[in-house]
Parts: sequence; C-alpha cells; structure tokens
Amino acid sequence: MKAAATPTDRLRKRWRLLPERGTVSLFEIVLFAACAVLVAVRLPQHLQDVIILTYLWGGLALAWNIAGGYAGLISFGHAAFFGIGAYTSAILNVKVGLTPWIGMWLGGLLAAAAGTALALVCARLRGPFFILSTLAAAEVVRIGALNWATLTGGPEGLALLPVPSVLNMVFASKTTYAALMLGYLLAAYVFTKILEGSRFGFYMFAIRDDEDAASAAGVNPLLVRASAMGLSAFLSGVGGSLFAQYFLYLDPTHVISPELSFQFALLPALGGLGTAIGPVLGSFVITPLSEMLRSYMGDAVSGLHLAIYGGVVIAVMLYFPGGMAAALQHLAGRKRKAQ
Amino acid sequence: MTTIGQLLLSGLLIGSIYALMSIGLTLIFGVLRVVNFAHGEFLMLAMYGAWAITHFLGLNPYVAIVAIVPGMFLFGMVVHQLMIAPALDKPHLVVVFVTMGLSILMQNVALMFMSADLWDVPPLLGGRSFTFGPFYAKPELVIGFAVAVASTFALRWLLKTTYLGKAIRATVQDSEAAMLMGIPVPRIFLITFAGGSALVGLAACIMMPLFSVFPTVGLNFVLIAFVIVVLAGMGSIEGALLGGICIGIVQSMSSYYIAPAYGQMFFFILFLLVMIFRPDGLLGQKGASNIGIND
Repeated sequence: MKAAATPTDRLRKRWRLLPERGTVSLFEIVLFAACAVLVAVRLPQHLQDVIILTYLWGGLALAWNIAGGYAGLISFGHAAFFGIGAYTSAILNVKVGLTPWIGMWLGGLLAAAAGTALALVCARLRGPFFILSTLAAAEVVRIGALNWATLTGGPEGLALLPVPSVLNMVFASKTTYAALMLGYLLAAYVFTKILEGSRFGFYMFAIRDDEDAASAAGVNPLLVRASAMGLSAFLSGVGGSLFAQYFLYLDPTHVISPELSFQFALLPALGGLGTAIGPVLGSFVITPLSEMLRSYMGDAVSGLHLAIYGGVVIAVMLYFPGGMAAALQHLAGRKRKAQ
Repeated sequence: MTTIGQLLLSGLLIGSIYALMSIGLTLIFGVLRVVNFAHGEFLMLAMYGAWAITHFLGLNPYVAIVAIVPGMFLFGMVVHQLMIAPALDKPHLVVVFVTMGLSILMQNVALMFMSADLWDVPPLLGGRSFTFGPFYAKPELVIGFAVAVASTFALRWLLKTTYLGKAIRATVQDSEAAMLMGIPVPRIFLITFAGGSALVGLAACIMMPLFSVFPTVGLNFVLIAFVIVVLAGMGSIEGALLGGICIGIVQSMSSYYIAPAYGQMFFFILFLLVMIFRPDGLLGQKGASNIGIND
C-alpha cells in the first residue's frame, strides 16, 4: 500500500464488495447477517434441521480447508479427528458427567494432538502417498473405536441422555442448536480469516506452493505442516462434539467413515479451495440441495440425490476447478476493470 | 503346526486375489501417476456384469471373462477420454476429486438400478474344497491364485519385451523425452488406463464366486488395494503380488490369533509403518515414488 493513500482509498480497500484475503467484505457481512436472520425467524422444523446441518458442515469444511486448502495437506482422514472430538466429549459426559461445554475443548485438543502426530508421522510423504496414509490412519481409528467396546460402546453405539439441560448442552428447541452451529461456523470463519492474513498463513501458502523454495527462505516445513494439521484437527474435533450434542448418538461406522472424510474434502473443493468463503459457499449450496433432493426424491429412487451430487463434483472439478469462490473472484475482477 | 500351515495357505490364496484386484490400480498409478479413487467402483461394475452373465445366461462366471474384460477395457477408454485426460494437465487435486466424484456417481447409480441387495453366484463344485494332505482350499481361491500369478508374469512380460511395453516404460521414465522419440504419450495413457480397467474386470470375474456384489462392495476392497499398491512400492507389478500375499497372511494370522475384527486394523498399521520407515515401499527402489513402474 502506498503511503499517499487517501482515507477514502483506504476505506475502499477495507470495505470490499466481494470477499478477499485480509479484508472484510460487504458480501460476507450480508451473508452472515442472513444466517443470523434464518436462525431468529421460526422456520418449520425440517428447514431448521437443514440450516443446522448447513452451518455445521460449513464449519467442518472450513476446518478441513485449513489443512487441505491453505497448507496443501489433502487429508481423507478428517473423519478420525471429527470422531475423536465427538467421542471424547460424549464419553466424558456419559461416564464422568463432565459438561460438554468443557468436553468439546478437550475433544478438540485430543483431535489436535492426533492431527499433529499424523502430520509428523507422514512428514516425508507427499501427494497421493499422504492422501492414502491419512485414509489408512482414519481406518485404524475407526476399527479401534469399533472394537474398544468398553469405551465407545462399539458397534451398538453410544447414546447421550436426550433430556434437555443447558449444562449437558442438550436443548429442546432447534433454534438454540441453530444458534450454536452458527456460532461454530462464525468462529471457524473468523479464525480462518485471521489465519489467512497472518504471517503463519503466508507460511502455509508458501509450503503448499513450493516447499523447497519456502524452506530455502527460512520457513520450517515440518513445523508449518504439523501446526496446520493440528489447527484443522482441533476445529474438526470441536465440530464433532457439537455433532454429538445434536444427534445424541454416535457409532463408529457413521462417525468415522471414509465417506464422511470425503464429504469434508468435497465441500471446500466445490466451494473453492484455499479461500475462506469457499467452504462456506460449498456447504451453503450443497448441503441444502442434497437434503432437499434426499427428502423429495430419496423415497422414490434411493441413490439419485447422491448420483447427481457425484456428477456435479465431476463437472465442477473439470470445468471450474476453482469452485464457487473463483466464480465470485471472477465477478470481482470484472467489476474492478469496469470502474 | 497344521493350523499355522492352513493359515499361511489361506492367507496366500486370499492375498493373491487381493493382488489381482490391485494390479490394475498399480499399472494406472505407475504410468499416469493418478490414484483412481473409483477403482473399487470399477470392480463393482464388473462384478455386476459377471453376476448378470452368470445369473441370466446360466454361464460359469469364468466364462464371463470373455465379455467383461473387453467391456471394461472399453469402459476404461471412455472414462479416460471424458474425465481423466482433461484433468491430467490440471493440478493434481483435480483428478483426485474427479475420480472421487465418479466413485460417488457409480455407487449411487448402482444403488438406483440394483438396490442395496446382495447378489451372489453359486460356488464351484457345490462348495466342496480341495484337500492337499492335511490342508483345505476352496477351488475358487486356487483358480484365483493361478490367475493372479499368471497375470502378473504376463503383464511383466508385456512391459519388458513388447514394443507397447517399452513405450509404456519410456513414458514412465520421461514422458517428454518419450514424446520427442515419437511415442504417442496420450495414447499410451489411454491404453494403460483402459488396460488397468480390463484387469479389474478380470479380477471381478475371479472374485464373483467368492464374494457377494452390492453397490458399496468396492469400498472394502479399494482400501486394501491402496494399501497393496503403496506397500509394493508404487508401480511395481511383482511387488503388488507380494504385497497382496503379505496382506492376506497378516489378515488370516491376526484374525485367527487376535480377533477377526482387528484383522483389517493390522494391515493399516503395517501400511503406516511402511510409510514412515520405507516411503518407497517394501520392494520399491529408492525414489520409486518418483519413477513409477520399476524396471
């Protein structure tokens, strides 16, 4: 930025219409305000279910994006971190009576430890080798959870007490859950925005784009990879705890499945990898769409909504590899040229 | 002693089936450097084909090879032209997500048309086993072992001696130099991808008498295939056979001595250990991950 920038220039730089790295844009403010309105107005139950899931998936997609989008650590094992977070707070709640308000942070920390450990273990692996190793690590966690029945309840699952209580983070009203999930989404978003404008954010981009050059310039790749994975896993773990509090039931086959890991990766990929708004857009478009398709067509033809989803993934990745965020950027670019 | 022998034999036989299923993936990875996440769904599709031929035409599943292998070759060509080739010059991620989308698409189209029911074909010889002294083996597994070994060596021969094989190896070593020498690299990629798909078709016909087919059957097998391909040293064809047999033996031993449910966990742990200590695979040469198919 030039020193001679006038206050109006600076203001224009600060208040963009469309999302950009390091600034807050009008688009983001309007989007999240609309989210808050959706929580506040009393929607019918089934629509509230959709927005709860949309916000939760949005936060989880943001969490995945820190590792996958910013640091280039494509993980197909994030369901493990999600599951560790979910099980930690649920087990502490059921067996020890600890409130999930504390348990979710512990779940996040345990997931972060697992994420950091995985990044250190896979320090030498790149590309497909890294992807497949994360997949294998998640399978180890899943099979472990399935068989350690005294702790996790094994294949029968683990149920939380469905009695509303603020202390146990169980609510009767879906509005409260929607507000909770919006809080999670917002926290993940603000964290991502701060991260992408920070020095550490630039370290991550450097590692992702050219690791040799980055380490020649004094960035420690191992440290950056481990921290990025740890932060991403932490957010996923907290999301897992919230998921447990909403569904009140966990079983390893669903909570730690490879399909779930793929889902965490596909939402940011469709929305736009390595941008803050991308994963949010991905979840805001894909989650309601697939929930609607599921409820309107799922009974008639099972599998149709996911078949459409698969087709959309192929088409978007082949023709718009930047996802929805790139489409927005494109609009922004055209707008600036016109000015 | 007999128990250990039987476990080793069972592991060897089932492992060779796993290897057969992974050879196509190994070939594609070794040459195109593409991990085909839809590999399991290719297997599923071919298994449905083999099931349909057995069920509706009353033929032996092994006879279905004649139709399924060329059919999968064609299917592989179509997929390559439509989805893989356009993604090859884009960032590595694109092809990962494209094959993942294809996997979701195929799984759910199968669910729409075939429902989630399990389909199988009657076992050979009315379910009787061969006996070798004190040991037993299912005839389907023995045939599978023979086919796996034969295809490994046939593929090795093809890569070593034929013009096509030499062109493939040249492409692996340096695709730009190969192109300058007049090798049509895009066509080599096409043939390799289609050939890998045809090999999955072969595996599907061999596996049909052993396993039921359902829309998500691929997921279980594809995870094993990924483990084998990486264990072997990416792109090594004989490595895939040995890797498969290792996995089979680890699985049968740990299922018997520890707990059946933990069987899978052990080979994922084995996989992670190999990744940590020998990232180029058990048999792979140093830098195998950069070279692709081994000489």
